[in-house]
Amino acid sequence: MDLRYFLAVLFMSAFAGVQPRHWPRTVRAVFVRQLYRSGLDSLWFVGVLAALVGISVVVQAHLWLGKVGLSQKIGPLLVLIVARELGPLFTNFVIIVKSGSAIATELGYLKVSGQVRVLEAQGVDPFFYLVMPRVLATTVAAFCLNVFFTTGAFVSGYGFAEMLGQIHVDPLSFLNSVLGAVRPADVINVLVKSCVPAALTATICATGGLSASASVAAIPGATKDALGRSLAGMFIVQALVSVLTYW
Amino acid sequence: MSSAHPILQFQDVTIASQPPYESAIWKVSFTLGAGDLLLLRLEEEFKELPLADAAEGLVDLAAGVVRFLERDWTGLSARDAAAARGRIGRVFLTEGWLDDQGVDENIVLAQRHHTVRSEADIRQEAANLARMFRLPGLPLWPPHRVRRQDLRKAACIRALLGRPQLILLENPTLGVYADLIAPLVNAVNAARRGGAAVLWATTETRVWDDAGLRPTSRCKMFGSQMHLLTR
Repeated sequence: MDLRYFLAVLFMSAFAGVQPRHWPRTVRAVFVRQLYRSGLDSLWFVGVLAALVGISVVVQAHLWLGKVGLSQKIGPLLVLIVARELGPLFTNFVIIVKSGSAIATELGYLKVSGQVRVLEAQGVDPFFYLVMPRVLATTVAAFCLNVFFTTGAFVSGYGFAEMLGQIHVDPLSFLNSVLGAVRPADVINVLVKSCVPAALTATICATGGLSASASVAAIPGATKDALGRSLAGMFIVQALVSVLTYW
Repeated sequence: MSSAHPILQFQDVTIASQPPYESAIWKVSFTLGAGDLLLLRLEEEFKELPLADAAEGLVDLAAGVVRFLERDWTGLSARDAAAARGRIGRVFLTEGWLDDQGVDENIVLAQRHHTVRSEADIRQEAANLARMFRLPGLPLWPPHRVRRQDLRKAACIRALLGRPQLILLENPTLGVYADLIAPLVNAVNAARRGGAAVLWATTETRVWDDAGLRPTSRCKMFGSQMHLLTR
């Protein structure tokens, strides 16, 4: 399977996803279930990660900004590091590890156990029932997780900085300085960086799982390949978008 | 076997031998109209044939044409083919259940997917069928937690739900004959009276000899060839 194939599946998912006729109640149910699995199920993990990342960034900022006498620049720095780069990166890592592997394994099992054939025989198109809702739900979940991660990192970062006596502004002023540091390009950057790799991950893992041959032994290999491709895809998209947005 | 408005038509259908099927089929021709029942006797060693898959347009043909409601499967778009398959009920040779859903959800899946009938209406019809098959209600457990006999009954309920125009039965009573034959024959005859066509494949002599079935045609498979015995 090459890049063109993944992009075609991705495009078809997005194209079909905006047409109401492809959303019977069965597909809506799969979408909601996937949203729960990819989003809500990962919330606590992303929350802990965000808190730790926020604290780490503040510690580093405290060390380095203090050395150059720019301690009050911690707000914009958080935007630069957390919102632009770490948020999309970590949330997509979580999506790949928790959702991507689950999607590839689940669909691989459905394929080799003949359950995909059962769906087809009942007139339930595997693409619209298995692939499209998973791709779209994972994309929405990744965006929401990214917002949650970024907010969590800011909150923990601010809290920790205040504990250290590093920040001498009230929370509203801090929020104001953070939002003031956000440029329109940042919004586009964050949106693309959080959504595109997640959509690509779900597409690669779903098609990878469905391409598993007729043996259960093929599922681990298909999952491993899909996760490897998802990671590569994520880093390429992150780098590409950073270059296109800020260079 | 002919009809003015056939529901299912096989015309010189040839399918090569390929996994998971145990035999090829060679120049198979028949037509099923509304109310018809084709009883097909399978050889014990060739239970898994591509007939049902071919009837649903799910397998590539080496030669010939399969038409459902007078439309060739190969001429249908993916969307139209999926919608057409929604009008076919089938008891699979192997159980054919989605593991991550309850048996009840499996049963109502196709109706929920293809129709806008209310959930209550679909479940009411399914519950009525369940009573017909002597089940206290729809099994709510996942398939691996349901007894084999009850799963076979549930498979019949799924195949008959929504008044399909074509019913494909692949050895439905295998291993559960005593428990299933009477309600299944009643349900199939009711479906036929309602205008459905039925293809019933079996390896069992007692199904073949069942007086209550009253098939419109009887055929036997010999290797890859189908022989019409009576009409």
